[in-house]
Amino acid sequence: LVVARIRSGLLLVTFGLATTLQASPGSPAAEPASILVSRQLLEKERLSVGNVVWLAGDASGAGAQPFRIVGAYEPTPDPQHLGSPWLEARLHLPDLIRLTNDGSDPASTESVGAVNVRLVDPNDATAFARELAARLPGLIVRPTTPPPVARDPFVVLERFHLAIALVTVAASSIFLLALMVMLVDERREMVAILRLLGLRRRRILTQVFFEGLLISVAGAAFGVLLAVLLQGAFNRFFQWHYDTALVFVRITPQIARRSVMVAVPLGIMTSVVSSWGLLRREVLSLARR
Amino acid sequence: MNAWTFALRSLVRQPGRAGLGVLGIAAVGALLFDMLLLSRGLVVSLKNLLDSAGFDVRVVASESPPGTGPRVRQAAAAVAAIARLREVDEVVPLLFGEASATGPGGVALKLNFTGVDPGARRPWRILEGQDFGSPVGEGMPPLIVNRNLAKALGVSAGSEATLRGGGAQGLSALPPAHFRIVGIGAFPFDEASALTAVTRLADFRRACGLEDRDEADLLLVSSREGQGTAAAVKAIRALRPDLHSFSNEELVALFEQAGFSYFRQISTVLSSVTLVFGFLLITVLLTVSVNQRFAEIAALRALGFSRARVVVDVLCQSVLLVGIGGLVSLPLGLGLSIWLESILHAMPEVPVSIHFFVFQPRALVLHTLLLFLTAVLAALYPMRLVARLPIVSTLRSEVIT
Repeated sequence: LVVARIRSGLLLVTFGLATTLQASPGSPAAEPASILVSRQLLEKERLSVGNVVWLAGDASGAGAQPFRIVGAYEPTPDPQHLGSPWLEARLHLPDLIRLTNDGSDPASTESVGAVNVRLVDPNDATAFARELAARLPGLIVRPTTPPPVARDPFVVLERFHLAIALVTVAASSIFLLALMVMLVDERREMVAILRLLGLRRRRILTQVFFEGLLISVAGAAFGVLLAVLLQGAFNRFFQWHYDTALVFVRITPQIARRSVMVAVPLGIMTSVVSSWGLLRREVLSLARR
Repeated sequence: MNAWTFALRSLVRQPGRAGLGVLGIAAVGALLFDMLLLSRGLVVSLKNLLDSAGFDVRVVASESPPGTGPRVRQAAAAVAAIARLREVDEVVPLLFGEASATGPGGVALKLNFTGVDPGARRPWRILEGQDFGSPVGEGMPPLIVNRNLAKALGVSAGSEATLRGGGAQGLSALPPAHFRIVGIGAFPFDEASALTAVTRLADFRRACGLEDRDEADLLLVSSREGQGTAAAVKAIRALRPDLHSFSNEELVALFEQAGFSYFRQISTVLSSVTLVFGFLLITVLLTVSVNQRFAEIAALRALGFSRARVVVDVLCQSVLLVGIGGLVSLPLGLGLSIWLESILHAMPEVPVSIHFFVFQPRALVLHTLLLFLTAVLAALYPMRLVARLPIVSTLRSEVIT
């Protein structure tokens, strides 16, 4: 099946025309050609499967032709189109050519905007493009190779998110350190008593280490759980806001593992660093009120 | 001793804790400041960029960005008709395409190639050499290139250049076209590594094999002084309802709705998170500090300090912590924004003149207001603790322990 696409502005106008014509008694005798419309267009224009709509290649509505909607589809999510209303219809190529036929241009019935080619061996893309361009002057032939990794917009965005995450981790570390300093300060007398009872610095430090480990593991687990719970809410909000099926937040095991790998050592480190200042002091200075 | 001095001495007494609080607020404040710069940065920057060339209306064939959608057909007639409108001062048609050239050592160069029939205003700035001067047909066709292309080709104003229109090197069967480089120019929509060349429309069509096509990708329109942009847009829409006319403000609004909304969303989310974070940090710091100073505060009350006075002391501590942290956050935020800007500018097709983080006085005012609000809200709970502190029982408990 060969399918062609037409886009937004033109359709908006012609669908407005379609509602008028659809209600008119002079409906076409022959069965109209079939089309698919995007879910967004179906909802926006309050259409339904089975409706006959009139489409025109001209914004004025001249030369409009009837089409029957035989189905709706969800457009393939594309981050590049975020925020643009996805109002489109898919026609069979001969129908689209008939619709957009320019009477003054005899070649218009033989013209298409682009031809997608799938090669037997994708590695031949560049050589094939060069050869085809040489054989067909005026044709622009491009291999569909992805952009270089360093300049891929999503790689750049990932780097931006990582930078933001680094700043957030730095701020969190300061927050955590401040909390631990206060916590340790409150336990000054207890540490003094433990030291007076004969517990060695190393023993108390080991206790602090395991305490830090427990707190940070619990904190990291809570953080990952919260992120998993929030991802659904985030996705639903942005999918509603942008009217798309795109997934915006996905907590993968790899991301969860990376978060834990950062949070746990950070928690332990702040516990030990904040306690070390206290443990270094002489036991009598700790016990003094 | 007034409340501010007293609060300052209370903070200085525990320098480590106060220092960490200030640092935490500085980090949070820097991120908040950056998010405020980001929230409007692209919009302000794009508006400045669109206004810079002196054209306030853009006309295209569809709502797609120029160069990606259908072209304006019968462009010469459209240009003439629009130019005749009394609301319009000047119309400049543009055609966008690609071309290839061969650099020193046989290096293939792919470049952005534009055809334009300029009037009084130019959508570029000449850096070296001269602008298009001689009429079409006299001598070798003129070409203006950007610095990147001049450097890549090893040429300067007055040199000759050979381009092959329509696609990358080796992928076009069009014959090579020879040009005289009349000037080196700066093009506001160029990205950092762009190789750009611009020639007259007729020469562009000839180089790209489009002689028989009377089309344009974009019509740049300048409204007549005194008539206004809105009147020009209205007149063009009435004249050619089949074309899409946009004022610069409408274009910015469209971009804001589509392409820029991601940055606005992320800015809102991160601003909210940073404010909550700052609120928690200050609340915890002050609450623990107040808890540890219950005896001292009760003693002060017993000595004659009023309830309002000790409450104000706590508020002053909060404002001092946030105020000092907020001040430190400004240079920190500016430095951070330069780093983040450099990361985002690696995106393809982002013009050099477009900035993601743009300073505006509005951002500074909002930053100050939000941090002040955070300081006040964060102080509420510890203030309540201090206000409701029972003097006698606290002192008694302190003596017993």
